[in-house]
Amino acid sequence: MLRRGQLAYLARESLAGFSRRRLTTGVTILIMGSALLVLALFVLVALNLGMMLERARAGVDVRVFLVDGLDAERQAALQPPFLAVPGVQVARYISKEQALAELQRELGDEAGLLETLPENPLPASYHLELAPGHRDADAVARIAADLRRWPEVDDVVFSQVWLAALENWAELFRWGSLIVSLVVLVAAVFVISNTVRLTMASSRRVIEIQILVGATDGFVRSPFLIEGMLHGLFAGIVAMGVLAGGFHLLSLRLAGLEFFSLGQVAGFVLFCVLLGFLGSMAAISQYLRLRKTA
Amino acid sequence: MADIAVNRWGPLDPRVIIGFFHVQLRYRDQLALDDVTFSISNGEFVCITGPSGAGKSSILRLITMDLFPTQGQVVVRGMVSTRMGRRRIPHLRREIGFVFQDFRLLEDRRVYDNVAFVQLVVGAPQAQVKKNVMRVLTQVGLWDKRDRLPHELSGGEQQRVAIARAMVNSPKILLADEPTGNLDPVTAQEIIDLLFRINDGGTCVIFSTHDHEIVKTFGQRVMVIQDGRLVSDQERRIPERDRAPRLTERMYQPGQDHA
Repeated sequence: MLRRGQLAYLARESLAGFSRRRLTTGVTILIMGSALLVLALFVLVALNLGMMLERARAGVDVRVFLVDGLDAERQAALQPPFLAVPGVQVARYISKEQALAELQRELGDEAGLLETLPENPLPASYHLELAPGHRDADAVARIAADLRRWPEVDDVVFSQVWLAALENWAELFRWGSLIVSLVVLVAAVFVISNTVRLTMASSRRVIEIQILVGATDGFVRSPFLIEGMLHGLFAGIVAMGVLAGGFHLLSLRLAGLEFFSLGQVAGFVLFCVLLGFLGSMAAISQYLRLRKTA
Repeated sequence: MADIAVNRWGPLDPRVIIGFFHVQLRYRDQLALDDVTFSISNGEFVCITGPSGAGKSSILRLITMDLFPTQGQVVVRGMVSTRMGRRRIPHLRREIGFVFQDFRLLEDRRVYDNVAFVQLVVGAPQAQVKKNVMRVLTQVGLWDKRDRLPHELSGGEQQRVAIARAMVNSPKILLADEPTGNLDPVTAQEIIDLLFRINDGGTCVIFSTHDHEIVKTFGQRVMVIQDGRLVSDQERRIPERDRAPRLTERMYQPGQDHA
């Protein structure tokens, strides 16, 4: 357990690096903040893309046109088998007459045209809605192909063929942003670890004497860990601040997109603190190892 | 309290505070120490001498367990080098004070903070920090200069601050590695006298030097290291009149100003 005197001492030592080298500290936070800004931007775009996809998928509907000549009873009896297809949530029956009425409504003033037809040319159909896990392009295509093999089914039409393209694109973006994010993360950890190494070099004697008089490893490390975590904290706040500011300024043009929730912002900043921790941990371990072999 | 240690060479005399048993130390490709065996009892004053690079500093670093023997065993305060967990090393070091030739003070901190820092590191209760710092700084005669920065002090004074720092945790062992190397003879004698007084208080003092002039003034046990071997270990009982004259006749008095 640390005593009060030790805690006060550690707090002073942790902040000492900050105040002694304001320029280095500022530059570190700016560089790291920029790297994290790129990361946050990618995450935000990926998040919005995901939401767009989800919305698009919710709008997917599948129309199953039945072959002509089935009597109403047979047609109505198809509802349970449709519902039994995995992924189908709702199966709404639309008779020939309903289809015609719908078309008439849509045509409005020009509905008179239809009266010239000798008979109702529209087929009866089922309107299927899919359950959430089955709305992606692959699943929809699979269900459609499956239904087309039914003897009662004439054709299956589903809207939003572009969904597949959007999904491919989103996939590509996810991989791209993953790679960029990894590069950015390594860079951020590197920048922090470099700064902490600088602090340690200038505190060489303090470290040496602490070790000599019997400070535990944890005690020697903690001021530098705290310094690294503070760097991460401020860099994370800078990144989020700039992103939020930019988002706010462009909000009119970007209407419809969403910013991170408060929890996500907190999570991101916490993640930056973790990066700071990792960066300084790397620097400290390397320093103590080198010291041993010196 | 040190428990009684037992090793291959049998149980240890409980009075032994530092024991080296057939210690070999290989440093990269070089043999820094070879088959060194000796023991030092509680409260002894021992001078380790020999040419530079003979292995004096290696012995001191083995005692603080900064280095470990490649063969043999080092036992300090009942802690055995071959059975020493990394986590226990800090606890050993809290019982050892260390003084260097180049003082190694923290230049940006006042004399008081240089000493108090050591107490904070080991987590001494706040109320005792000031008391202890005052005790050791008074002992070395520098309480009046507690607010000075190290560079405002003379070399001898800086070394006295370093000694106060080494003593503030009340160690059982004080290691002094060439503590007079950077000092003129008058100041060197003051430092040696201070170490004797610390030894009178019951602390075991191990003093390393390559300076024969200093060794000749000693009536104490002198160990001579040459090329990594212990070539002589004499318990000298030289009467005062047969010793070489002191480096200076001027005695150090507490509170006296040497600026």
